[in-house]
Amino acid sequence: MSSRFVKRMRALYRKDELERELDEELSYHLDRETERNLRAGLSPEAARNEALKSFAGFEQAKEECRDARGVRFFEKLARDLRYGGRMLAKNKSFTFVAVLSLALAIGANTAIFSVINSLMLQPLPFADSDRLVRIYSTTNGADVQGFGYPGGPSLVDVRDFSERNHSFEKMVVYDSWRKNVSFVDSAAEPEQLRVGLVPGAYFKTLGIQPLLGRLFSEDENRFGSHYVAAISERLWRTRFGGDRAILGRNIRINDEPYDVVAVMPNVIPDWMERGFAIDLWTPFAPSADIWSETARGDRGYAALGRLKPGVSIQQAQADLSMVAEGLAATYQVDRGVGVSLKPLADSRVGALLPVLLLLMGAVGLILLIACSNLANLILARNFVRQREFALRFALGEGRAGLIRQLLIENFLLALIGAGVGLALAQVVLCGLTRMHPDKLPQLSGIQMDLRVLLFTVGLSLLTSLLFGAAPAFAGSRVNLAATLKAGGRSGTEPRRQRLRNSLVVAQMALSLMLLVAACLLVQSILRLTRQDLGIRAEHVLKGHLYLPPAHYRDSQAVTRFSDQFADRVRAVPGVIDASVTTVFPPDNGWTQMFTIDGQPAPVRVEDISAAEFGLVDAHFLKTLQIPLLRGRDFSTADLATAQPVVLISDEFARRYLPNEDPLGRRIHIGDPRPTGAVASGAADSADVTIIGVIGGFKNVGLTLPPQAQIIGLYAQHPLVNYGFKDIVIRTASEPHSTEAAIRAQLRSLDSDMPFAEVQTIDELVAQQTGAERFTTLMLGAFAIVGLALALIGTYGVISYLVTQRTREFAVRLALGARPRNILWLILRQGLKLACLGTIIGLGGAWAGRRVMGRLLFGISATDPLTFAGGAALLVAVAFVASGVPAIRAMVIDPLRALHEE
Amino acid sequence: MTSIKKEKAELLQGTLELLVLRLLGPGPLNGWDIMQRLHLVSGEVLSATPGALYPALHRLEARGLISATWGTSDNNRRAKFYQLTRAGRKQLQAERDYWERFSQAVETILREA
Repeated sequence: MSSRFVKRMRALYRKDELERELDEELSYHLDRETERNLRAGLSPEAARNEALKSFAGFEQAKEECRDARGVRFFEKLARDLRYGGRMLAKNKSFTFVAVLSLALAIGANTAIFSVINSLMLQPLPFADSDRLVRIYSTTNGADVQGFGYPGGPSLVDVRDFSERNHSFEKMVVYDSWRKNVSFVDSAAEPEQLRVGLVPGAYFKTLGIQPLLGRLFSEDENRFGSHYVAAISERLWRTRFGGDRAILGRNIRINDEPYDVVAVMPNVIPDWMERGFAIDLWTPFAPSADIWSETARGDRGYAALGRLKPGVSIQQAQADLSMVAEGLAATYQVDRGVGVSLKPLADSRVGALLPVLLLLMGAVGLILLIACSNLANLILARNFVRQREFALRFALGEGRAGLIRQLLIENFLLALIGAGVGLALAQVVLCGLTRMHPDKLPQLSGIQMDLRVLLFTVGLSLLTSLLFGAAPAFAGSRVNLAATLKAGGRSGTEPRRQRLRNSLVVAQMALSLMLLVAACLLVQSILRLTRQDLGIRAEHVLKGHLYLPPAHYRDSQAVTRFSDQFADRVRAVPGVIDASVTTVFPPDNGWTQMFTIDGQPAPVRVEDISAAEFGLVDAHFLKTLQIPLLRGRDFSTADLATAQPVVLISDEFARRYLPNEDPLGRRIHIGDPRPTGAVASGAADSADVTIIGVIGGFKNVGLTLPPQAQIIGLYAQHPLVNYGFKDIVIRTASEPHSTEAAIRAQLRSLDSDMPFAEVQTIDELVAQQTGAERFTTLMLGAFAIVGLALALIGTYGVISYLVTQRTREFAVRLALGARPRNILWLILRQGLKLACLGTIIGLGGAWAGRRVMGRLLFGISATDPLTFAGGAALLVAVAFVASGVPAIRAMVIDPLRALHEE
Repeated sequence: MTSIKKEKAELLQGTLELLVLRLLGPGPLNGWDIMQRLHLVSGEVLSATPGALYPALHRLEARGLISATWGTSDNNRRAKFYQLTRAGRKQLQAERDYWERFSQAVETILREA
């Protein structure tokens, strides 16, 4: 079989040579025949003629020989391709519209598929990545909440998992913190970097080898011996200039010196560590007592494991669940805590999964719209070409040949559409990767690869062949006599017209659904970002500081520095006020248990109330312009007394002290149970007095209402006066213009301390709505595409109608109808389709309200104004699309039109 | 394909190919030779038109049952000579067997009927 193919290929290649040989062979035969005739006595001329006669159908014989060569197929194919290309070039408007429809739909699908490919299909950049899993602790099936990694287990639990399991080859627990980093020998400014606190086993589990140097050893995981660091290749090149003698050089982390012992390749993607790029690692060596029983309840660390080959994740899950049950039975703090395993790859797509599914639905709709456009166009064009088909049929082409021709034209369309679509998708992706906000780090790595290319071409071929095939088959069913007699126009078949109309109605309905969804999302995101945060948010700058314990040994040192810094910042020109704080909207992240004096303390731990907690200085309310509703603000006098005072939010008063005057009431902050497990040090124990009630501000994120909040002075809570501080600064004008001066002040106080996460509150809010903005942008773009396609479709059908009924209009005009009537006649057609499409589209949008509702904030999924607006826009578009051909119809010259028939 | 002279029997395509294979058994021949021999050996009963023969030869070549080389004919002209390949020989044998069985069956029926 294959040798036959090879022969065919060779025949194709040596075509000319083989032609000559065939000629020669047959000529030889002719000559022999002629000779024989000569010998038989005929004249040379007669001899030749007789020979030719015997060789009846010389050319046809040649044809048959060529056929036998088996190459005819390719030659016919080539001829069809050339013909198809010419046809497409001739009908420029058809080709343009068809390619545009295809390209828009293919482009949209390719863009989304690229995203899906990068986020879900491509393998992770680690060896045997399907064996990597993340380990989570759960209560009642949901991830445990708290500090650090969401759902992260405690160190002690992981140690027990690691010792008692049968399914894992390696298991590692680690953490990452922000730390102040100074590069000793280089002129670079100190920075706050997220440092990975990892044992050497972390890299071994992932299968990463250092580019230079060595991994951390077991000894170095002990506190005291842990002053070594590994840097990423990225950091090595940018801060150290790729210095080959990097090993042994020094870095200061939180004011302590570390030796660089390794350079790691840039393999770990950003999304893996909660979206932070980690360029620096030190061994995981928390204080010695962190491995003791008291720390078992201390959750929020990251845990990673590599399964043994051949062990499935379900087996491992069952294994670890049993271990977890054992722990829960033995240790009180683990009661009710379960364990859950998820493949590491799942965290890559993370929160974007529902968004991606929505977008997939949207591009699917667009594809349907484009397909119906295409089908309509091809139907219409086939109709116009009836005469051509009839002629070819009469010339012996045969139905198969006709179908092949039409399919090849569709194939060419598909290729061109795929090409343009790919280009469009590339543009979209470039824009996406450039605009990716920090909340969507996965978007930075999206690119088109072979799989995407195959998808694009395959989709395009499938679409055009599928939707072009039916018209192709229909078009080839030619009624010869009728067509040729009627001059190629056999009138409008009502069935075909209904089909075309229903396609257009479907397009309109689908694009209306997209439009409504996009409008809802846009309004939702506007409401989200324009919310009242509870403060005066304009011209507020914020930044983060860390005061390392090595330098600031006690609470007094922390307080002293914080106050000094705030004073200096207030003196900077352009600064109205400043406050050092641990809390500012929209998030807080620090909760404390509390009990109110005079109210009975609950017995069960689940019943103990907890509120959002923050420590500030006396300038907090003034800087953020938070309204004071009752009582008084903090004053410098409070710092001098030993009596700790707090402000509470109105939500707190409403929930816990309803119908009472909260001023003067005392609260005990901290775990009321006599000997509870001491948590990570976020616990306080203090009795405070309420001196005022303030207006609530967003403290648990943008989408949730403000929760009960307690605000104290950090100077009055030495037990929890940590070095993690933020500063909020109100400026007179553009906040960033004061940034340099503020940095200078900080540098003068402590040259090793970086000023990190500097942004305005507005920028912070924008950053946090990254995922929503992404969705809105994409859906908005698709809605526009859908609308454009519907416009094209409507225009196509109406204008075809006009062409069909030119004769009728000409007659009407000749009989005295006014051009206005013709216009209205046509417009009415278009509007009829539009109304039908609108009704169906609104019905569809209403049906999908539950899905949409989950994505919206502050607006209902069936918002009547949006529905009405979308419908109006669609009708307007249909109006325009019908208007243009209608106006053309108005200027028909009746005499000319009738004459041309 | 109809033969020009009505008295001559019309040869089916497949039969023609089988006969060509048979004629090439002893050794290579060119198209003209094959035609003459066909006429001769069958006692002038069977002949084929060039319009049928040459396509048949090309088909056989495409199927790999015969191969072709250019050589000198007996009148010192350049001509294309065909010969059997090993596959062709096997095919010939197989077709011969089939044809024998077929013709016997037909004969039996004709005699019986």
